[in-house]
Amino acid sequence: MWEQLIIQPMTNLLLYIYALLGHGPHTFGFAIILFTIVIRAITWPLNASQVKGAQAMQELQNDKEWQEIQKKYAKDKEKLAQEQMRIYKERGINPFASCLPTLIQFPIIIGLYQSIIRALSAMPLDMLKLSRTIYPFQNAEAIIPLNSKFLWMNLGSPEAVHILGYAIPTLAVVVALTTYVQSKLTMPASSNPNDQSAQMSGMMSIYMPLMLGWFALNFASGIAVYFITSNTLGIIQYAATGRANWSNLLPGGDKNKQISKKK
Amino acid sequence: MNTKRLILISLIALGAMLLSACAGRSTVANTWHGLAADADRAYVSTGSLIYAVDLKNGSEVWRYPAKVDASILYFANPVLTADGQLLIGSAGKNHDFISLDPATGKEKWAKAFSEAKGTWVASPLVLNNTIYAPNDDGFLYILDMNGNQVADPIEIDGALWSAPVTDGKLIYLSSLDHFLHIIDPASGKVLKEIDLAGALPSSPVVGNDGAYIGSFASTIEFVKPNGDHKVINKTESRVWGSPIIDGQTLYYADLNGKVYSFDIAGGNQNWSVQPAGSVVASLLMVGDHIYVASEPDATTGKGTLVALDREGKKVWNQDVEVGGKLYTTPVASGDLVIVAPYLADFTLAAYDVDGKQAWKFTPAK
Repeated sequence: MWEQLIIQPMTNLLLYIYALLGHGPHTFGFAIILFTIVIRAITWPLNASQVKGAQAMQELQNDKEWQEIQKKYAKDKEKLAQEQMRIYKERGINPFASCLPTLIQFPIIIGLYQSIIRALSAMPLDMLKLSRTIYPFQNAEAIIPLNSKFLWMNLGSPEAVHILGYAIPTLAVVVALTTYVQSKLTMPASSNPNDQSAQMSGMMSIYMPLMLGWFALNFASGIAVYFITSNTLGIIQYAATGRANWSNLLPGGDKNKQISKKK
Repeated sequence: MNTKRLILISLIALGAMLLSACAGRSTVANTWHGLAADADRAYVSTGSLIYAVDLKNGSEVWRYPAKVDASILYFANPVLTADGQLLIGSAGKNHDFISLDPATGKEKWAKAFSEAKGTWVASPLVLNNTIYAPNDDGFLYILDMNGNQVADPIEIDGALWSAPVTDGKLIYLSSLDHFLHIIDPASGKVLKEIDLAGALPSSPVVGNDGAYIGSFASTIEFVKPNGDHKVINKTESRVWGSPIIDGQTLYYADLNGKVYSFDIAGGNQNWSVQPAGSVVASLLMVGDHIYVASEPDATTGKGTLVALDREGKKVWNQDVEVGGKLYTTPVASGDLVIVAPYLADFTLAAYDVDGKQAWKFTPAK
């Protein structure tokens, strides 16, 4: 089911783009970039809804009425839940609007990841699977094997640039950096010092870059190309909404903003 | 640490685990086993370990290494040399190329091969006391029998997944990028590069003053030493395994599971049959039997070893196990044919010429 509905269509889309580009050297890297753009375009409404939902929930944390009911019903969880639901209803906020799109996107991200790995076919078993994944309308004879060279990288292997005998994982650094920038930009300022969702966002902006950077360090560099493209598109998408919190990128930027808001 | 922080860290760890589980190439590579045999033992490479198994009773003689290292993985067919070495390279993150004593499993030498950018999927060729080792990075490395590089590696460009073969004078080496390369071992020069229009995952077979090879273009080609080549037959599907030659007859199989016999002298196909499921492994000829190792077919769900006679008639067949896939080319030693199924409960099984199972080998934990 997963194979037929997710992996095969995604892999074939990736290979179709690769074939359109001429399946020569460097084209698979560009195919991953275009493929990521296509997937991001398809999931644009989901991303937009997620951003909107997260923003609404964040704004609610700074709302006076919301903060008052937190204090008032701190010892009565049932009443607190009822009051919270009332506020959600009155303001037309869906508390799941921020996490539901993420849940829907998760299989897409996993499928995308598996498709890239499948297409790269690093071992004989992978290539056998790939040969059985390709739809009949594609010219499999010409496509297989994929040319995994892209710029200075072999997209099937972890990337590193060798300088003075040291292997510098440049892509892993760029992945961590773009993930950090994206998470910081999408993190709205909070004036509530007890705002747990702001604390969670702050932690995410540390852990996620580390996790994705670790993946880029240890896995095929094709995945790193996907992460970088996806992060860059995420940054552009968020900037296009005019809500990007650029001051967060500076050290203490979020705190400064909180202080100025309090004043 | 509060509950939410714990939940967040757990979610990130779960995400990492899921992505790791999906990765085809990461710290853990995976593919089917490598297999070789001499008169006394079968040698099987199964990932982190290589086992030597006694052909008399299927018991373990030795395993290598003593301590499992997940960064070193062995999948290529080990190669036995005339001077008593067992050669194999790692397909893991570590690119070690090693020589073992086939009798004891003790390491004779090990080379780190940090300059090789790819892994060792293919077996090496030993010719005139020189080891020709093809790497996934597209280079053919040239070593002496102690593992020292004695010449600059030959740049082939495409990924090398199959062992070089020789007619004693020239080396024929197929690369995944559709090219068959003819190399002069004396000069180390690539004399010819021939585009065969489809991926070449297996080695050619040498005979009749040239080489025969099947490809993903669903063709069997004959290539002369001067580079002239022609399609001698078309197959129903892509060809993964190497053809075999028996006198003036060529046998080969395709991924649809069809087995073909081709009359080289007459230039026409004798017969084709479909004994079981898809065939990835090369065929094996022992005595009057052609052995076909296949994937599970739709009816039984079991991998099958089939013995055919020269006319394509089934002599016997042995189902291996539900889900057990026979991707590895079987090997023969004495009266035994040995198979190494992938995804089966056991690692090796040996059958006699009548199809009776002699033993099974499952490594002790």
